This record gives sequence, structure tokens and C-alpha cells, in this order.
Amino acid sequence: MSIKQQVRHFILTNYLFTEDPSKLADAQSLMQSGAMDSTGILELIMFLEEKFAIKIADDEMVPDNLDAVDNVVAFVERKQAAR
Amino acid sequence: MSGFPTLVGNLLQTAARVPQATAIQDGAATVTYEQLLQQAGTIARELRAQGLQDGERVVLIMQNSAEFAAAYYAVLMAGGVAVLLNAAAKLRDFEAWLANCEASFVLTDADNDEATLAARASVAAARHWRSTGNPRSPFGLTLSAEHAPPRAVDEHAPACILYTSGTTGQPKGVVLSQANLASNAAAIVQYLGLTGDDSIVTVLPFYYSYGSSVLHTHVQVGARLVLEKNLVYPHIVVASIARERATGFAGVPSTFALLLSRVKLADHDLAAMRYVTQAGGAMSPALTQKLREALPGAAVFVMYGQTEATARLTYLPPHMLDRKLGSVGRAIAGVDIEVRGENGAVLDTGGVGSIWVRGPNVMLGYWCNDVATAAVKHDGWLNTGDMGSLDADGYLYLSGRRSDMIKTGAHRVHPQDIEDVIAELPQVQEIAVAGVDDERLGQAIKAFIVPVPGASLSPMQVQAHCRQRLAAYKIPKFVEMVDSLPRTMTGKLRRAELKQRK
Repeated sequence: MSIKQQVRHFILTNYLFTEDPSKLADAQSLMQSGAMDSTGILELIMFLEEKFAIKIADDEMVPDNLDAVDNVVAFVERKQAAR
Repeated sequence: MSGFPTLVGNLLQTAARVPQATAIQDGAATVTYEQLLQQAGTIARELRAQGLQDGERVVLIMQNSAEFAAAYYAVLMAGGVAVLLNAAAKLRDFEAWLANCEASFVLTDADNDEATLAARASVAAARHWRSTGNPRSPFGLTLSAEHAPPRAVDEHAPACILYTSGTTGQPKGVVLSQANLASNAAAIVQYLGLTGDDSIVTVLPFYYSYGSSVLHTHVQVGARLVLEKNLVYPHIVVASIARERATGFAGVPSTFALLLSRVKLADHDLAAMRYVTQAGGAMSPALTQKLREALPGAAVFVMYGQTEATARLTYLPPHMLDRKLGSVGRAIAGVDIEVRGENGAVLDTGGVGSIWVRGPNVMLGYWCNDVATAAVKHDGWLNTGDMGSLDADGYLYLSGRRSDMIKTGAHRVHPQDIEDVIAELPQVQEIAVAGVDDERLGQAIKAFIVPVPGASLSPMQVQAHCRQRLAAYKIPKFVEMVDSLPRTMTGKLRRAELKQRK
């Protein structure tokens, strides 16, 4: 699975409780749309650190990196490239 | 108004004393005390102009904002009763609460669709006001310097309702008077030593008693509140504390667990931080110690209370933390505490029993629910539902709750609220919900389901259904299919046993 597929699957099954891909748009804000709450974002961070073997620093925990599937994928790719 | 302090009196005095002091900072917007009073006065006048009568309920469904604070004080100025609802709740909760309190007006955030639906079904369109996000024009009103003088109200009359449970049975709305709220605020101001020089970065919602007390204490002394929406990005909150040179911070155990695990506090300049407060459930002594080590310059106040007692009942003076580690402290000014045994007799020092309290902060009762009120209030004393003991110096130690309420993060959740929703699924034969230990949240919600024989039901289906019907924090984190539920001989559910079965 691609990074995007894995991230989407994680969010769909753990927060939207569905496997229907149409329920999650890649650009939609995860917080504003109510898809995830603060606990969910933290769980997403732990998921990313474990799944993609990256370490997310405090100051990287910002909406630009985490608040939509597109942002998350771009962020993970940057982190992996910098490794 | 008599000589007894009221919240409205506090705002009037503060606005007269320090009109230019910042009351609320919300992102780029700053509201001074003079402006806060002007906004509240404008909203109050408009509520009266549109027909609000003394004692009628005005419901607020809003996230923290300057508009929320202004509207809250406005309702009291107008002689109404402010009903503060959890803005993250869902339609079915809102409907039940609005019906229970017989709302006259409903004020919501403009972008809260479920609250808007509930408001439209409950009051005429002209009585559903929506926030604008613009403090210069709260709810689209034109600010006016001339506001009608506040209604003269009995300070012991209902002023505020906070619901502590959802739709199950009859909702329990805790009714507080201005005397309850103002006396509790004054006691907190006293032990924290709060002054107009203080400022706090607050993430606690005003619609919970803890967040509400943060608002009222700061208004009383003319201190500054800096609003941060939530703790989604803890780094941003800590950066805000440093940038604003905040002197205080308030949190629940999960707040501190999160901050300590995700943010290197030492990397931020938190030298201005004078104190932190912790309430909302027992925090482990280990975490308290970690917090002290991470913030060596700040006094740590461990506190205990409940909505039925306005907010606060006890606090542990920071200098006693080492000697009384594990205690939630001693009674705040004006409050008496007794620990009573099964037969109602007051227990000796060290004896574990029910915690009863008495004081000016004890609620008037539950809204239109005499049965529930009578179950906890006797002769001016309130049964907290918590168990604990007092030591020889009068320090209180908690040892669990008798009730089944789940404490997850900053939220209190009644299991039956979730059970009722899951029971709506035709594949469910029996359902029980319990809180299981969780490192981050204190407790996490777990559902145990006995499916109808032959029926197919996946945990995800159950969670998806809950997501439609319940606020996000009420969705069970874990769902387990079981053959049977543990019951007593008489068929009563053994919830304590479920909690062990992680």
C-alpha cells in the first residue's frame, strides 16, 4: 500500500468506522470536518511514527503537517527524504 | 441586589476599576473589560427587548470565545438563566436538554450544524442567535455604550444550568445561583492568590464547571484570559504560554500527561508561570512529581470538586504537596467535609466512606428533577458520590467513585447514555459499557456486547452507529463481543467486574 492508502485506511477505519473511501476527501480538514478530535490526532502521530519509522518533533505537530490526508502524506514524504 | 457578591457585580466593578485591562484575547482579537461589559450590556438589552423574562432559560451552545463570555454575563444581567451545553454534543443530546430546560432563546456558534438544527426545532427563528466571531458585533448586534442597568435578581435564584448527563432517563441539569458561582470564585481567587497581574492560557471549555470557574475568577480580579481552542497541537499551546508570558495554566490529568510526553517544556521560556492547577479526576503522584520537575518555578495546585458543588471543594496547598502526596487537599473557605459510613454516621479519622459536603457552593438542585435532587441533598449537605477518607489534619484522600460515571479525558460520561445508543442496533441482545484504564485518557470507553444468536455484527459497525448518534469522545474505543455479561443473582450488572476485563 502507498503512504496515502495506509493513512487513509487508518483514518477511515479508526475514526470514520467505514471502509468506504468516498467518506474521506484527501484535502478535507480532519479537525474541522469532525473526522478526528485531539486524541485522534495524537493517535495519528503515533501511527505515523511507528508505521513509517519517523520521529515527529514537537514543533512539527502543526495543522500544516497533519490536518488533512494530503498534508500528512506530503509531511511523511519530506521526513523520509530527509532521513 | 444585596451586599452578597454576584458575577454581574464582579464584572461591573472590574470594568469600572480597570476598563482598559485585557479581559479576553482570542487569536488576534482582544477585548478589554470595558468592551466585555459593553458587549454583555448590549446582548442583555436585546434579550429583554425581544421578550426575555426573569428566570427564563437562554441556552448557549458555543466553543470558548469572547462572544461566549459576553453572552454568559449578558444572560445574568438580563435576569435570565444561562444554560451552558457541551458544544461537541450531538443532536439527540441537544434536543433532550433544550426540551428539559424549556429554552426561550438559543445562542449557537454559526458553524455548529447539529446545534443549529436543534435550535430551529426548539425556538422561533428570531430567538436563535448565531455567533459572528466578531467581538465588535456579537451575534450581529450593534454595540451600544448605553446598556440598561442589570436586573435586580435574587442572588440565590437559579442563574446557570450545567448538564452532567445525557439523554438517559431524565437529564440532570445542575442548577447554580449567582451566590454559588461568586462565592466559589472568591474562594478560588483567595487560595490561588489571583490578581489583575495574572493571565492564563486556557484550553478548558467554559461549558464545564472547571472552565467556567477559570472565567469567573479572572473576571473577578480583572486578569487576562488567553483562549486556545484545544490541545490538539500541544506545542502550539505551550508556545502561546511562553509568548504571552502567562502566569497560570489549568488542566486535567490527561492534559498534563499529554504536555509532559509530547513537549519539551525546558525548551520554552515559561519563567512567568507562577502556578498550575489540576482537577478533573485523580492524577497519579508520579505524574504530579513529573509536572513539578518540569516546571520548577511554578506552584502546583492539586484540587478536587464537582459540578454539583459549582466547581471547587478542596485544594492542596503547594507547600504541602510532599507531606500530603496523594491527597486532594483540605476544604476551601466556607466548605465543610464529612466522611460518612453505610449507616450515615460520621466516620473517625482515616475511615473510608461517602464524602458529604456543605457550603455556599452547593447547588440548588437538579433542574425540574426533585427525585434526583433528593437522592443527593439532605439538610443542606451534598453527597458527592465519591468515596474517601480524612486524615487528622483534615486532608482528604479519594478512593474511587461509587457511581458508574466514566471519566475520559476532561469528560464525564454515563455508560447508560452509550448503552442506549448501541441497544438501538437490532443485532444487539445485551450491552454493557464500562471505563477501562487508559494511560492517556485516565479511562477509555469499552463496550461489551452479547449479539443476537446468528446475527453478524462487527466492532466497526457499532462504532459507526455511535458516531452518528454520539459526541466523538463518547464513541467506545474498544468493542468486544462476549457470550454473556457478569450479573449478580438478582440480574444486576456487575460493572466493576467488566472494568477488570480489559
